[in-house]
Amino acid sequence: MRGPILFKTVTVLGAAALLTSGCISSGSNGASGGGGGGNGNTSKNVEIMLGFSGAQLDDFKAEVDPYAKSQGITIKWSPTDNFNQLINTRVQGNNLPDIAMFPQPGILKDLASKGKLAPLDSVLDMSTLKSSMTSGTLEAGSLNGKLYGLLVSMNVKSLVYYPKKAFDSAGYKAPTSIPELLTLTNKIKADGKTPWCMGIESGPATGWPATDWFEDLIMKYGGIGQYNDWISHKIKFDSPLVKKAANTFQQIAFTPGNVSGGRKSISSNNFGTAGNPMFKSPPGCFLFKQGNFVAAKGFFPDSVIADIDNQVGVFGFPPASASGDNPVLGGGDLAGLFSKDNKAAQTILKYMSTSTFGAGDAKKGGYISPHKDFDLNNYPTETIKSIAKVAYGATAFGFDGSDAMPGAVGSGSFWKDMTAWISGQMSLDQALKDIDDSWPATS
Amino acid sequence: MLIKTINAILTVLAGVGAALVLYWVLNKLVELLPGKWEDRVKPYFYIAPAFAAIALYLIYPAIQTVVYSFANADSTAWVGLKNYSALLGSHSFRQTLFNTVLWIVVVPAATIILGLAIAVLADRLKPGSEKLAKTTIFLPMAISAVGAGTIWRFIYATNPPNEPQLGLQNAIVTGLGHDPVNWLQLNTLHFNSFELMVILLWAQVGFAMVLLSAAIKGVPTETLEAARIDGASELQIFGRVIVPQIWGTVITVFITVTIGVMKIFDIVYVMTNGNFNTNVVGVEFFNQLFTNFNNGYAAAIVVMLMLAVLPIMIYQVRHFRADEAVR
Repeated sequence: MRGPILFKTVTVLGAAALLTSGCISSGSNGASGGGGGGNGNTSKNVEIMLGFSGAQLDDFKAEVDPYAKSQGITIKWSPTDNFNQLINTRVQGNNLPDIAMFPQPGILKDLASKGKLAPLDSVLDMSTLKSSMTSGTLEAGSLNGKLYGLLVSMNVKSLVYYPKKAFDSAGYKAPTSIPELLTLTNKIKADGKTPWCMGIESGPATGWPATDWFEDLIMKYGGIGQYNDWISHKIKFDSPLVKKAANTFQQIAFTPGNVSGGRKSISSNNFGTAGNPMFKSPPGCFLFKQGNFVAAKGFFPDSVIADIDNQVGVFGFPPASASGDNPVLGGGDLAGLFSKDNKAAQTILKYMSTSTFGAGDAKKGGYISPHKDFDLNNYPTETIKSIAKVAYGATAFGFDGSDAMPGAVGSGSFWKDMTAWISGQMSLDQALKDIDDSWPATS
Repeated sequence: MLIKTINAILTVLAGVGAALVLYWVLNKLVELLPGKWEDRVKPYFYIAPAFAAIALYLIYPAIQTVVYSFANADSTAWVGLKNYSALLGSHSFRQTLFNTVLWIVVVPAATIILGLAIAVLADRLKPGSEKLAKTTIFLPMAISAVGAGTIWRFIYATNPPNEPQLGLQNAIVTGLGHDPVNWLQLNTLHFNSFELMVILLWAQVGFAMVLLSAAIKGVPTETLEAARIDGASELQIFGRVIVPQIWGTVITVFITVTIGVMKIFDIVYVMTNGNFNTNVVGVEFFNQLFTNFNNGYAAAIVVMLMLAVLPIMIYQVRHFRADEAVR
């Protein structure tokens, strides 16, 4: 009696085991990473992990793949929407890519200090880089005097757009200092026009464009050193420097008549389209501060994009004083090397560090090179040329500060309290104190 | 794609198969016991796997959450009641609690009143029109909260004056010659919170209507006719004959909506992310956990929410039992 039952049990259990173990991996986590980390790796396969995808990735691939092929190197692209989390997970699991493109320097420096990344000083031609890279971009990827992250592509945030024809015919000139910017604001208003368009609405992320304003002003007033101290909270929000920046912002944004729609409309106005009244006739405003991304389809009206060089003017957000330091706020992708002995990965990195890298990508309008000696004629429009020149003329380069702050501040209280202040629900002092209080205690 | 499909099929087969095998083995094991014990023990063996799963996936995490609520942001050290005192001591969290209470007070009651009104009125329509009316009102149920948020953004959207108004309400307001109103920032008397509640009502009244309508149709016509013969007015019939007979359904809908409202997250997150003083407990929990990475605060918020939901759950279970007993 018991025999057959036992037999049946075993058969069924066995079948179940077979079924469960029968699942096949579709190979999303290939083997290439595992050996990373550094030991003698002569593989011709290079895995590059990056935080962007879609058309941007396709254009970037088109730039790298042909060269890799000519060197007999196969590149495995691993794009992710969630770079910061995934790279930490992969480091913990020792499942490293060969090269990773870090969207901001915080995590790069963190991994470098833990010895996970290889210094690039011996891999790349440092003396050439020192003269060709935009000032401050090498420092942004360096730790203790060694380069760990090389800026490969760049975006610029310290920009003010204006409606070119109306701006020029009214005789306005691009300001060269913050006081001049304030004078220009008053002059436009005195002429019976509205100087600024402003919008910080961005769904659940509402408030971030206001943090860009603060970053720019703090960097211009305090210089890159104090800017970095502020990012690491050595300088508090409730401090003279931040208040100085806030006062300038307040003067521009809250003075009645300065902003189209007034102070209240700033927090309900979408960041991407807030500037579009500039292109009406007569213009709804004359100045709009936003990153270089906004001068593209989906943000500025299509008719403007089609005729961008005649319609759009752009100048760099001016420095505190005309002859002083002029740091520029921006971002970009920093290439870091995990497998230090992998010759193929080094070859790819060297290629990315040249001043001619990205020419094809740039011609499509989606790429700005961090190299000052990059051929400007590769940029398809005067507008992009001007934007690149703003960056190349910088005395220092600062990465987006809110990205580098702890999440509780950088994408939490900083956004929310700025929104509350701008929409008039909180005083400045309350807002700054609240942000300071929300800074996580370092344990 | 093919591999994924095959994997999915294999997983389902293996899952169902394993469950069958498990019960079969358990059954065989019980059958080994002597006769009387077999009957006594069998129910427990059958309920054990489900109970074990609930214990593992519900009770254990719940206890763990309570434990974490007494620990610091990254759950590495005890902080006693500090999470609770810090939260309850902060002005913004008290506002968050107040907003949540507003939602709890307003939304379930409004859902019942509107749902009941529509159900009663639709009941008097011709069958064709009744179907049409009910379908239309039920339609928003099929839209996800995030989708509803997107739709309502177009209703509340605000552009600066002298720009074309994209938002429906502001198009009307400016059409009448007034300045556009910044709807979602109007915080006087928590007006913007009420605007968000309207979205949930819009999405949920259909649900209440369907259940209440079914209950109303279940009211025996003899009772209605008897009331009419006795000379009761229609209002009296509604209040004294219909409502008492559907009271069970009213309570069930009320409690379901209340529990849903206490956990409200998506609409507020999509519309304002808690800005402009519209924050509610669900959004605050999400932001503490996933933006601020503060496990302690997040756990404390959830524990408070759990304590608040508990009495309602107990009431519902009791009510359900009482209902069963009547039947």
